[in-house]
Amino acid sequence: MIPVLGLLAGLAIGLVIDPSVPVWLQPYLPIAVIAALDAVFGAVRAVLDGIFNDKVFVVSFLSNVIVAAFIVFLGDQLGVGAQLSTGVVVVLGVRIFSNVASIRRHLFKA
Amino acid sequence: MDERPNDRTPEERRPDASMTLLTSMLERPLDPSYQAAADRRRVAGEAPATSTRTVLVFVMMLLTGLLFAIGAQALRPKPTAAATVRDELVSRIETLQSHSSAQEAKLAAVSKQVRDLEDLSLQQSGSDDLTSQIKQLEVGAAAVPLRGQGLTLTIDDAASADADANAGNRPSGGFQEGRVTSGDLQIVVNGLWGAGAEAIAINGHRLSSTAAIRFAGQAIIVDFRPLSRPYVITALGDPQGMQQIFEPSFAGVYLDQLRQEYQIRSSLATSEDLTVPGDTSARLDHAKPLSGAVGSAPSSTSTQTGSGSDSPTSVPSSPTSGPTPNPQETTQ
Repeated sequence: MIPVLGLLAGLAIGLVIDPSVPVWLQPYLPIAVIAALDAVFGAVRAVLDGIFNDKVFVVSFLSNVIVAAFIVFLGDQLGVGAQLSTGVVVVLGVRIFSNVASIRRHLFKA
Repeated sequence: MDERPNDRTPEERRPDASMTLLTSMLERPLDPSYQAAADRRRVAGEAPATSTRTVLVFVMMLLTGLLFAIGAQALRPKPTAAATVRDELVSRIETLQSHSSAQEAKLAAVSKQVRDLEDLSLQQSGSDDLTSQIKQLEVGAAAVPLRGQGLTLTIDDAASADADANAGNRPSGGFQEGRVTSGDLQIVVNGLWGAGAEAIAINGHRLSSTAAIRFAGQAIIVDFRPLSRPYVITALGDPQGMQQIFEPSFAGVYLDQLRQEYQIRSSLATSEDLTVPGDTSARLDHAKPLSGAVGSAPSSTSTQTGSGSDSPTSVPSSPTSGPTPNPQETTQ
């Protein structure tokens, strides 16, 4: 419950203060969002599996976001930013779907 | 799918070892470090899972929510300035169009009212000759709709000028052979006047003595209203007589040449029952009504209507002869 409250509070704060993102940071936002989603779903699954660890969650979250942003940055420097972004999205998307499937199995036994 | 990867010892070589990247991605979506940390805690004699109610988790989730919100707001496509302006222009055009059609209907109704009132007052003053004179002048001034027998001349662009593909649209630039120009229409219309036409309308736009046929870009403009092809010229008059005069005249020969040289399509048809509308935009710009009785003889007022220079077609051999300052216009 407390993590959900944190998520909602973060959403509310972000919507209310509506900070302007500098232009150079904007290409990394979508990838960062996907990476964060992956970390969150992984954490939910770990909770349901009974092996959640807050430090692992923080580290995996940060490393996910940073690595994803770095890949996009590298791709931009090499001129293949779009392709690398697609790759990151595909990998993280597959992980998100597998984790969600596992969460579903835990919650609904289906 | 959950526990399988951990059952396997590293020494076992999988049959699909060449695709380990894909299989590990598909089979172990969960970060392996969760399992490792749980194992460590188990060895240390603690519960494998930590609580989710720690400050760390709360802060992390707060950051996640913030990230989602910022990402959504920063990346949502905003309506561009151009799109906004375009929408505004479209709505303005639509408003003005409906406004203009409403005004036109109102104008038609009011002019009918004016005409009725004119009739009434003239009847009351008991001057029948004036009534007939006004009727005759109105015909000449193209103020009233007319019907009768006449000719229908249909002119259209050559079939090769890719005109059929986009009917009604004209290209935005460049002159193309095989397209009807305003000059063609001017010559033809003048030829019809010369052949004794009593009233002429192009695509339902009545040609009054001040109407101009012009080119604007690629569109033919009659009385400031753009026409789309085909151009149907309705000329009231004696059909046989007009045809006999028109065809050997300069305009008829010119039209023949257009057909032969540029494949411009034209067809002439006679009809017993044609109608032409009245010109709703008839107005006087410079002429002033004479003060006093309507019946006083219209003398030489300044009847310099229209600019004249931009209206080459304004040579109507109108059925009524002589200068016709229209006293009935004063009621507007």
